Amino acid sequence: MQTWDPHGPIYQQLADRLAARLLDGELAEGEPMPSVRALASRYLLNPLTVSRALQALDEDGLLETRRGLGMYVRPGARDRLRQAARARFLNQEWPALRARLRRLGLTAGDLNWEDG
Amino acid sequence: MNHLIEARGLTLRYGRKTALDDVSFSIPKGRVVGLLGHNGAGKTSLMRALVGLAAVDGDLQVLGLAPRRQRVQLLESLAYIPDVAILPRWARVSQLIELMAGLHPRFSAERARTLLRRTSVGLGDKVKTLSKGMVVQVHLALVAAIDARLLVLDEPTLGLDVLSRKAFYEMLIEEWCDGERSVLISTHQVEEIESLLSDVLMLNEGRVVLSTSLEDIDRRFVALAHDPEAADAIAAAHPLLRYRVQGGSAALFDGAPPPELQALGRRLRPSLVDLFVALTRRPELNRTQGL
Repeated sequence: MQTWDPHGPIYQQLADRLAARLLDGELAEGEPMPSVRALASRYLLNPLTVSRALQALDEDGLLETRRGLGMYVRPGARDRLRQAARARFLNQEWPALRARLRRLGLTAGDLNWEDG
Repeated sequence: MNHLIEARGLTLRYGRKTALDDVSFSIPKGRVVGLLGHNGAGKTSLMRALVGLAAVDGDLQVLGLAPRRQRVQLLESLAYIPDVAILPRWARVSQLIELMAGLHPRFSAERARTLLRRTSVGLGDKVKTLSKGMVVQVHLALVAAIDARLLVLDEPTLGLDVLSRKAFYEMLIEEWCDGERSVLISTHQVEEIESLLSDVLMLNEGRVVLSTSLEDIDRRFVALAHDPEAADAIAAAHPLLRYRVQGGSAALFDGAPPPELQALGRRLRPSLVDLFVALTRRPELNRTQGL
C-alpha cells in the first residue's frame, strides 16, 4: 500500500511525485498524462485527490489541457521544473549544506567530484 | 434526483436492542464513502436496510426508490456484496458469468470477461481451486460488470493478504469509480482505505457520529504534533484525543485551537483512525481514564 507523509495534503505529495517523474523524463513532454482513473488506481487514491494534483501541476504551467483529449505534458515542462529545482537548491538547500561543510571544516578540495 | 441515497431518521430495533438510532445521511453521485464503526455499531444493519433486506422506520430512498417495496427494481441498478457472500465452490467462472447474464438484465458478460482477463483468474477455473483473494476479485468483476449506479460492499477485503487487498482496490477504482457511480464500503482497515475515500460515515452504537467529506475533515479538525514540554498546555485546551506519533505526542482538536497553542506544535493531517478512536470511545471509558 502507498504511504503518504502525515505532514501536508496528499494531493500536493502526489503532485510532487508526478513532477519528479516529469523531471526524470518518465512522463515525456508533448505526451498525454495518464488518466485520472489510471493514476488513482496506481497510487490508490480517490480520483478527486488526483484531479487536484493535476490541477496543481496545471497551475504551475507543467500541463496543458487539449480539448476533448485530456491533459498533456506541456513542452518545456522539464526545463521549468529543473529551473525551479535549481533555484530551490541554491536558495534553500545550499546555504544549509554550506554551513554544515564549514562546521566540518571541509573545502571543495576535500570532496570527490568524480562518480563512484 | 440529487442523491443516490437519502436517509432521514432511520431506526431499526431487534427486540430490545437498537441497531440503528435516528440515522440520517445522504450520498451524492461519484463518491467513495467509507462506513466505519466497531463491531455491533450498526454497519451491516444499515447496509441491509439500504438494499431492502431489513425493514426500518424513517424515510429511506435509494436511487429514488423505496428499498423494501421496490426491491426488484432497485437491484437493477444497485449491486451488493454482503460480508457473508459466497460463490458456489463447484462452479466454473465461465458458468458464473452465464448465470449472471441470465439473472441480471444489466449484466454484461463481455465486460466481466474483460475485467477477469486483467486478473490471474481463468474462465475455466473452478471456484474451489481459487484463493480467497481471487474469489473476491471474481466477485468484484461480476458486480462491476453490472451497469449499476451504486455499489454496497460489506467488509470486502476481510481475511485477504495485502497484495490481494491492493489488487481489489485497484480494480475498484479503475472499474467502478467513473465520477457518476458511488460506492459505500465498510471496513475495519481504516488506515488502508483512508486515501481512497471521498466521504466518511461513522457509526457508534447505532448513531451517526460523523458524516462528512474528507476535505471537510481536513478543514475542521486540526492535529498538532508537539514536544513533551508542551503537554500541559495542550491538555488544558481540551483536545478530542491525545495520542503518540513517531518521535513524540500529538493532539487532535475539533476546530482550530488558539494561535498560541498552534505555535507549540507542528500541524499534521488529521488521520481518520485517530478521529475514529476519538469519536467512538465509550463515554464511560473516558471517565475512568480521566482524560
